[in-house]
Amino acid sequence: MRLLQVDEINVSYGRAMVLHDISMHLNQGEIVFVVGRNGAGKTTLLKTLMGLLKPWKGSILYEGEKTLGIGPVKLAQKGLRYVAQDKKVFSGLSVKDNIAIAAYSNAVSMPEAITNVTSIYPKLNDFMENKAGGLSGGQRELLLIGRALVGHPKLLLIDEPTEGLAAIVIRDIFKILVHMKTENISAIIVEQNLSIVNRLADRIYVMRDGHIIKEIDNSRQTEDSHELENYL
Amino acid sequence: MDILRALGFRVYPQKALPVYKEICVLTIFFLLLTPIMHMYRITDFMIFCIFVMSFDLLYGYLGLLSFGHVLYLGAGVYISVLFSIYINSNPLLSLLAGTLGGGIIAAILGLIVVKLDGASFALVNLAFSQIGYFLVSSTFQELTHGTDGISSRVEAWGFLNFSNEYITFSFILISMLLVFYFLRKLTSSPFGVLIRSIKENETRVTFLGYNTFLYKWITFLVAGTIASFAGGIYTLYVQYVSPTVLNPLDNIEPILAVLIGGAGNLYGAIAGGLLFMMMKDWLSSHFAVWQWVLGIILLIISFWFRHGFTGFVMAIRNYQRKKAVTYDQDGV
Amino acid sequence: MVESVVYGFTLGAILYLFSIGLSLTFGTMKIINFAHGMAYTLGVYFFITFLRVIPGAFSISALLAVLCMIPVAYIVERLIIRRLYGESLDYAIIATYAVLLIGTDFIKFVWGNVPQQVSDPVGLSISIFNFLIPVYRLIIVAVAAVLFVGINILLRTTIIGKIVVAALEDADGVRCLGVNVSKHFSIVFIFGTLLAVLGGILYAPISAADPYMWLSILLIAFAVVILGGMGNLNGTFVSAFVLGITMAITGRFWSQAADTIVFVVMAIVLIFRRRVA
Repeated sequence: MRLLQVDEINVSYGRAMVLHDISMHLNQGEIVFVVGRNGAGKTTLLKTLMGLLKPWKGSILYEGEKTLGIGPVKLAQKGLRYVAQDKKVFSGLSVKDNIAIAAYSNAVSMPEAITNVTSIYPKLNDFMENKAGGLSGGQRELLLIGRALVGHPKLLLIDEPTEGLAAIVIRDIFKILVHMKTENISAIIVEQNLSIVNRLADRIYVMRDGHIIKEIDNSRQTEDSHELENYL
Repeated sequence: MDILRALGFRVYPQKALPVYKEICVLTIFFLLLTPIMHMYRITDFMIFCIFVMSFDLLYGYLGLLSFGHVLYLGAGVYISVLFSIYINSNPLLSLLAGTLGGGIIAAILGLIVVKLDGASFALVNLAFSQIGYFLVSSTFQELTHGTDGISSRVEAWGFLNFSNEYITFSFILISMLLVFYFLRKLTSSPFGVLIRSIKENETRVTFLGYNTFLYKWITFLVAGTIASFAGGIYTLYVQYVSPTVLNPLDNIEPILAVLIGGAGNLYGAIAGGLLFMMMKDWLSSHFAVWQWVLGIILLIISFWFRHGFTGFVMAIRNYQRKKAVTYDQDGV
Repeated sequence: MVESVVYGFTLGAILYLFSIGLSLTFGTMKIINFAHGMAYTLGVYFFITFLRVIPGAFSISALLAVLCMIPVAYIVERLIIRRLYGESLDYAIIATYAVLLIGTDFIKFVWGNVPQQVSDPVGLSISIFNFLIPVYRLIIVAVAAVLFVGINILLRTTIIGKIVVAALEDADGVRCLGVNVSKHFSIVFIFGTLLAVLGGILYAPISAADPYMWLSILLIAFAVVILGGMGNLNGTFVSAFVLGITMAITGRFWSQAADTIVFVVMAIVLIFRRRVA
């Protein structure tokens, strides 16, 4: 049974159709990337998978169960996690409290949750009591991914993790994603940075104007990003 | 307009009936009411319909919910009355003064209010409505005689003798039709399309280069002016006015009327205005305490009948034509 | 003059109690809750009724009234707020106004239209700097101060508080972590409503109760919340007292303008405020 099966979903914002008959799937342990120009509907796709938007047509099966209408709360409890493109943290709370909320909802003890996060990003220990709003973009992304990993999730939906970040941070994120792969945590990642895509992806979906125009099997792990660029 | 269409805004097609036919339909309808109800009552209803149409422009088309529209109705009433007493008792001049006066107030307050978002917009207008009531009943008491009320001094002018009920009825019917015509033209023009697009997604319209603040302000101004016009007309045949025309609790009335009739279309405004007034008449004459019924109707509408009476009618027509109601596939 | 200032503080305290619920409901659910005024009024009427039954027992009657309002708040939240929440702000406003209409008529039906009086439970005044100040008014201010501190502590130390603070900023973000935000919002709603009830009860001895008593306080509370920032409880605290004192001082010199001055202040602030309210 596939971890995620999406069949011909159609999503609109008001009267504008954003996703047209999107079908895709994900197997346990896979890391799948979604690429495409701005406005192609990638963020909408992730939001829909997380239950924040509802398709008016089509179905989504997560672990064999229909997810339509379930909503993000229950999906998160079933092991789905979402890291948004705007890298929004709870800026009014401390870093520690940001983690505390994740710990609370997953019935994980605080020490364990903190270890979870700091094992990925040890430097965060120095910032525990600081207000999360004061973190830099890279620190936020690492906090968000770390927080998403609290409670042993099964599937992470990450929207443009490396956008606007310095190369050194991107390397850290890359390491985390590799680590996730070894832990058999699946992910669907929207990304513009093609070198990361090529090195990590098991499969790649290319989107344009709300359609998936190509599915590429990347298991051969080539460094060659030309084929991909042709579609963008 | 094509740009808007291409970006996914629904552009309403030109109405099937030309405006003139619609006006005839309305005229006949209202004339048919005369044997059923007392003429002055119908006149009251027509004025309320003008008021509701002005509110619908702001709420149904532009999407701004004001909890203080009564201010402009009251402004029209009082400015007309005061003009007729202190400056000139010509009916048309008084009417003009009331309309323009209310329009100026709308223009000024609009500058403050139009940049606010939904919640604040609703409440700040309510606040201004309260201030208006206070100004008329208290501050300017010497001029307005406060809660005692004041008598209108409008005189006849030429054949316009408003103590004659037929002349009054005709004048107000024609006024209502003129307002209808004006709003019909306005809402089916590119301006109308633009404000509807703003209602749907203001950010997108801004990205297209339009100054949405300006358009919202103009709409607010027009809505306020027409409401004041309604107030001015009211003064013409009513002998005596009091600050109750500015009662902030009455602000819910145009809202309820528009929702009952169906927001976003002029027929809905008229239908809603009529239905509401008739309901209010019937309820207040049968029960001492009756506003809770309005409350229940509002709840029913809020949950199940959001598109009001005209929406209900359209849904039936669609069902009969076996047209499935689906989302536009390509945003056209 | 000093009496006016003290009265201003008292008004500010009551406004604060009333506005917390409004600000929270708006901050969390983006709903303007007109029914809040209905809860305030109904709570006071319950209180007066209990006081008639058990004369002299101010605190017990107050407690009973607050308890009676819990199911009312829960029903409004469950049947109306929760269903409209997130859908359309307009219909939420309209539906809560409908509840207000129904509730007001209910009160008129049960208790009638005549204003009801409640006497000052403490009945004492103390002398500060040669001015006679009713102790009761000071108690009200003290209650508000205690609440202010208490709420801040709750928000900072309890997990529910942290969830509320997070959700005020980014409710979807909290949901995506698996927290049932709606349940927490319900608790917040009921809590806010009960505070308004308390405010009404405390204010009752100072002003009479009538079925439309919500009208003036609701409008001013909206001004308090708009000025303080929707969802910003500390801002609400400040603006409540600022407006309360403004009203009291204005009322001393020009009694009918007290209400209006609040809106004038609000209008001025809105004109000059750069970000949209």
